[in-house]
Amino acid sequence: MGAIEVRNLSFKYKEGEPYILKNVNFSVKPGEILGISGKSGIGKSTLCKCICGIIPKLQKGTMTGEVFLFNENILDKQISEIVTKIGIVFQNPVTQLFSPTIEDELVFGPENLCISREEIDNRLQHTLKILDIEKFRYKNPNKLSGGEQQLIAIGAVLMMEPEIYIFDEILSFVDKEAKKRIINIIRELKKEKKTIIMVDHDIENMDIADKILYI
Amino acid sequence: MKDNIEIKNINFKYPKSDLLFNAFSLDLNMGETTFLIGDNGSGKTTLSKLIMGILKISSGSISIDNKGIDQCTLGEIGKSIGYVFQNPDHQIFGQSVIEEMSFVPILLGNDSIETIDKADKLLDNFGLLHKRESLPFKLSFGEKRRLAIASTLMREPRYIILDEPLVSLDMNNMDIIKITINELRRTGKGLLVISHNEDFANEYADRVIKIQDGRIAYDESK
Amino acid sequence: MMKANSLDPRTKIFIVAIISTLGILYRDIKILSLIFVITLVLAFILNHDLLYVIKRLKRLLIVVFFIAFVQSVLTNQGEVLIQFYGVNILTDYGLLKAAEFILRIGIIILASVIITTSSRREILQGLVQLKIPYEIVFMVTTAIKFLPMLRDEAINMFTAIQLRGLDFKKIGFGKKLKVYKYLLLPIIISSILKAKELSIVMEMRGLRAYPTRTSYRQLSFSLKDYATMGISVIITIMFVVLN
Repeated sequence: MGAIEVRNLSFKYKEGEPYILKNVNFSVKPGEILGISGKSGIGKSTLCKCICGIIPKLQKGTMTGEVFLFNENILDKQISEIVTKIGIVFQNPVTQLFSPTIEDELVFGPENLCISREEIDNRLQHTLKILDIEKFRYKNPNKLSGGEQQLIAIGAVLMMEPEIYIFDEILSFVDKEAKKRIINIIRELKKEKKTIIMVDHDIENMDIADKILYI
Repeated sequence: MKDNIEIKNINFKYPKSDLLFNAFSLDLNMGETTFLIGDNGSGKTTLSKLIMGILKISSGSISIDNKGIDQCTLGEIGKSIGYVFQNPDHQIFGQSVIEEMSFVPILLGNDSIETIDKADKLLDNFGLLHKRESLPFKLSFGEKRRLAIASTLMREPRYIILDEPLVSLDMNNMDIIKITINELRRTGKGLLVISHNEDFANEYADRVIKIQDGRIAYDESK
Repeated sequence: MMKANSLDPRTKIFIVAIISTLGILYRDIKILSLIFVITLVLAFILNHDLLYVIKRLKRLLIVVFFIAFVQSVLTNQGEVLIQFYGVNILTDYGLLKAAEFILRIGIIILASVIITTSSRREILQGLVQLKIPYEIVFMVTTAIKFLPMLRDEAINMFTAIQLRGLDFKKIGFGKKLKVYKYLLLPIIISSILKAKELSIVMEMRGLRAYPTRTSYRQLSFSLKDYATMGISVIITIMFVVLN
């Protein structure tokens, strides 16, 4: 039983344009870290969006093939179910943060899922500690550096406690210091037996992966 | 010989923040390749924006070739110094790549045919000729970055500021940018490259300046 | 640090609602001035950075004064004060109307400033606890966040194009127009793209997953709030009675 299974996935954004993804096949076991690498512009981000259902549910295009999350076809599931199982962090922290304070940003996800206030509080304390951002709790995300913002974006997804994490080039706009912290967090997630998909064009960042898929 | 940027005793702070630059001074030689390195938040991008006049200092002076920038408009400064933003989306507007390259020069009265010829040559150098008619928004990040640099070069500025040119690029794109930097140096252009990548700096710089918390941590010339 | 003032956003909404209503109902310039001054004082109490905010609204204020001027020019009643080749430029009635207009707009602007002394999140929470459907409130507060984003995009684009060697002050009107037209589409497109990205991020964090959602922070009225609202009601009643 795989955590993620992708079968014969092909996708293009518009009719008349070439296929961006062609017959992609792979699977990821629970607790595994899969690295995805390839040249820029080749479709890695598109693949990430297909895996978590953004395509075709939130973005249109022509998709053939299937994506299974824990043996269930993703097309049969609602976004509300999907987000409890899989979380995604994107490349640019700026477009992922929209709340006036860090606390607001972090609690946004669990609030949407109708999680109780006590539980939200627990998760919040835990996340602030792991990311070591207690001191930023009431700060405006706009005032932080790129690396710190990315940590918040990751934190916001951690708060949802999904089983699967997709990290789409999250180390791009991040300095050395923040990179170290982020990789440590990924290590922690691995210890907790979470399934992780990491996209990066820099192979060096993928030491931590169990296997690597080249596109 | 005046071919320099003189930053003298400047003060600057972002609104609702602490003072970032306090009586900061620096002289930049516009004939050589200088690297400004330092962590995020150290002030390097801010410094480059102050030089271009995008942000305004609260005291002190910045002069380019002995002329204070407070007496120049953005357009004037832009004529002699090219600036490539860290985020290419901030400087790409056209409906097509070729329009992106040629809009401003043609508007300023340059001959259309010559301009487009020049643009095509540059696009070719940067491996973007096949995307000539594409919508710039649809290019990949690496391609946008190359386009931003190419369109800055249309004006043939004598000094170019590049803000984190390698960040978020794959090997291929990085090589193209590195080759470009070498070419620019070979043709005698001065460069100010902002980067948090020290290896990159050591490989290409004539002079490396490290900025930390709005101060110069070290300043070494080769 | 949490916002320095501890008034519940609903209290502020309450006060602003009263002020706006009074500002619209009353015509007399003396009364409007009084309302304006009271609003100014309130805004200052709640927001010590008021001067900074006003500085940033400079352009808006210029537009307001311009409109007021046009209004007074187009009003032909009353005693003529200034004439220009037989065209009435300024009449005393027109001047009065212009002053009224400026005061009204001033009241509205200051009222908005009062509201913005609470964070977007607090305002959202306040409106939700006032039983307004979450989705509507969320749309409004996100739109509010969007305006400065749009403005920043525009500024970035203008800066960037000038850095290509385009000296805005030295080109003719026709060319200026060409540049505005050129930039309009990219600004709109890039803002729309940003909005789309943002909405995807929000949906992947579960927005609209269920018809309701929990609120981590609950607002509750404190003594200060009841006192403020009570005093506002009393003052309003006195105000209405005396006028």
